[in-house]
Amino acid sequence: MKETKHYHAIHITKDKCIGCVHCMTVCPAKAIRVKDGKARIIDERCVDCGECLRICPYDAVHSHTTSFAALDAFAYKVAIPSTVIYGQFGNATLPNEILSALRRVGFDEVYDPSAICELNTAAIEEYLNEHPQPRPFITSTCPVVVRLIQRRYPALCRQILPIEPPREIAAKILRAILPKALNLPPEKIGIIHLTPCPAKMVSINSPATLEKSYLDGAISIRDIYPQVIGTLKKSQEDAVMRHLFPETLFSGIGMGWSLSGGETRGLKNHRAVAVSGVTDTMRVLDQVEAGLLQDIDLLECTVCPDGCVGGPLQVENRFLAKSRILQLVDAAGDRAVVDHKDVSRLYHKNFLSFDHPVAPVETPPLDPDASRAILKATRREKLFAKLPRKDCGACGAPDCRTLADDIVRGLARLADCPFAKKEMR
Amino acid sequence: MAGEAVFRQDFPVKGGDFAKAGAVACRIKDLLKELGLDSPIIRRAAIASYEAEMNVIMYAREGRVRLAVSPGEVRITVDDKGPGIPDVGLAMTEGYSTATPEMRELGFGAGMGLPNIGRNADAFRIDSRVGRGTHLEITIHTNGRHP
Repeated sequence: MKETKHYHAIHITKDKCIGCVHCMTVCPAKAIRVKDGKARIIDERCVDCGECLRICPYDAVHSHTTSFAALDAFAYKVAIPSTVIYGQFGNATLPNEILSALRRVGFDEVYDPSAICELNTAAIEEYLNEHPQPRPFITSTCPVVVRLIQRRYPALCRQILPIEPPREIAAKILRAILPKALNLPPEKIGIIHLTPCPAKMVSINSPATLEKSYLDGAISIRDIYPQVIGTLKKSQEDAVMRHLFPETLFSGIGMGWSLSGGETRGLKNHRAVAVSGVTDTMRVLDQVEAGLLQDIDLLECTVCPDGCVGGPLQVENRFLAKSRILQLVDAAGDRAVVDHKDVSRLYHKNFLSFDHPVAPVETPPLDPDASRAILKATRREKLFAKLPRKDCGACGAPDCRTLADDIVRGLARLADCPFAKKEMR
Repeated sequence: MAGEAVFRQDFPVKGGDFAKAGAVACRIKDLLKELGLDSPIIRRAAIASYEAEMNVIMYAREGRVRLAVSPGEVRITVDDKGPGIPDVGLAMTEGYSTATPEMRELGFGAGMGLPNIGRNADAFRIDSRVGRGTHLEITIHTNGRHP
């Protein structure tokens, strides 16, 4: 999997796109234009949030996740699912049954993520204890938030808490242990994340904080769902055994990680605030950038509504999934399965840290020359005043302000607006 | 600024409109990014304009924030119609505040507003007339000091 400067997991299938403006209107990064009847994504602006994928009525937006068949390249296949998976199969299906079904589907081993999530919370706690400044720190679990900060809030890069998210930590641990345990060369072992999120592919293929991701790929829950549900149906008698002799002890602290607030629920001595949804996340990051919220220790931001459980590549209605996961959280209570001495040891060996800090990604100004940028900004305001402010999208830009911006950047013409009167052009 | 390219934009601010708190500062921040200014400069301008905007929202009936950017400096001028500040020297003291308990409950009025503007500006001027209003002039050099 090659790294490119602007690798993206989200793409538009031209044949299916009819050039309606749904995706363009919802894009929070204003990264979509409709030109010649087809939607086009501006690579430099896209943050892979998946809002377009969620809204497209014609199934024309797709995500590049790993296919199940691609795993044949590995002699030993390991799955690390997101805890979102536990909310996908109704109230009667226990986590152990789901893990067991995944093994039957073709994974040689499947690891429960809740313990690693608990480990992560403990490491965050330790980091906050040792670093009284700056405030607030922002969690790095949501790859879209990291990319949003790099591009829109570059000054906040230094406030991203430099502990890798559970999916990477889990893969790193397994990568260290499995080759010896299985007596296999490391490249023969495939470690795959199962995810409701298209952006995980981006964090795997062009990581913002690691030299190289510890994961080999990510399969969407949507893709693997049919096989899992089929297997679950076939093994109903088996379920009784899983109920009576559970083989995995789930962490109560980690179980709710995929719900907004789940990452910070286990913090004991710090004030944390959880924000979900892309619009609210941007609103709060605006406030942090203005120097506010300094009385908060940790800000958990996830761009999907309600957290990862609202990811565009999950299957179950997100409210039902959330309700099921909350039930599991209740059942597990505050059960801790991780020894804090282990966490502390890994933490102080920097085993859980970023390889390097998050670096800002420059967004091009109106013009590299300061005077010309000022002239362009002035011209843009004059153009905007001429536009109808209906934000109809007929010109191919999401709103009138963006059209004015495109015009001064040389990407569009005033004539693209069907409302701008001829004499104004 | 004579002879140089200057970008100007005005933003009205309504007194008491807490729901829109920070909207002007946010617009200013985005504009400065598009003009290609360095992020420490943008951050200082964003903080200073946020505090100035909040003062209008908290104390005045209405006001106007004026942004003027030339290649060498960012100038933010704020004029409000409001009660004015009787003792500017005292108001510049950290921790001094005339905020009501309601404002404090909302997390405002810690008495850091004006001192915070001063800290982030390269030049800062206040003229205030009791019963009439307050005029602030905040200047940040684009190659300015880092506080």
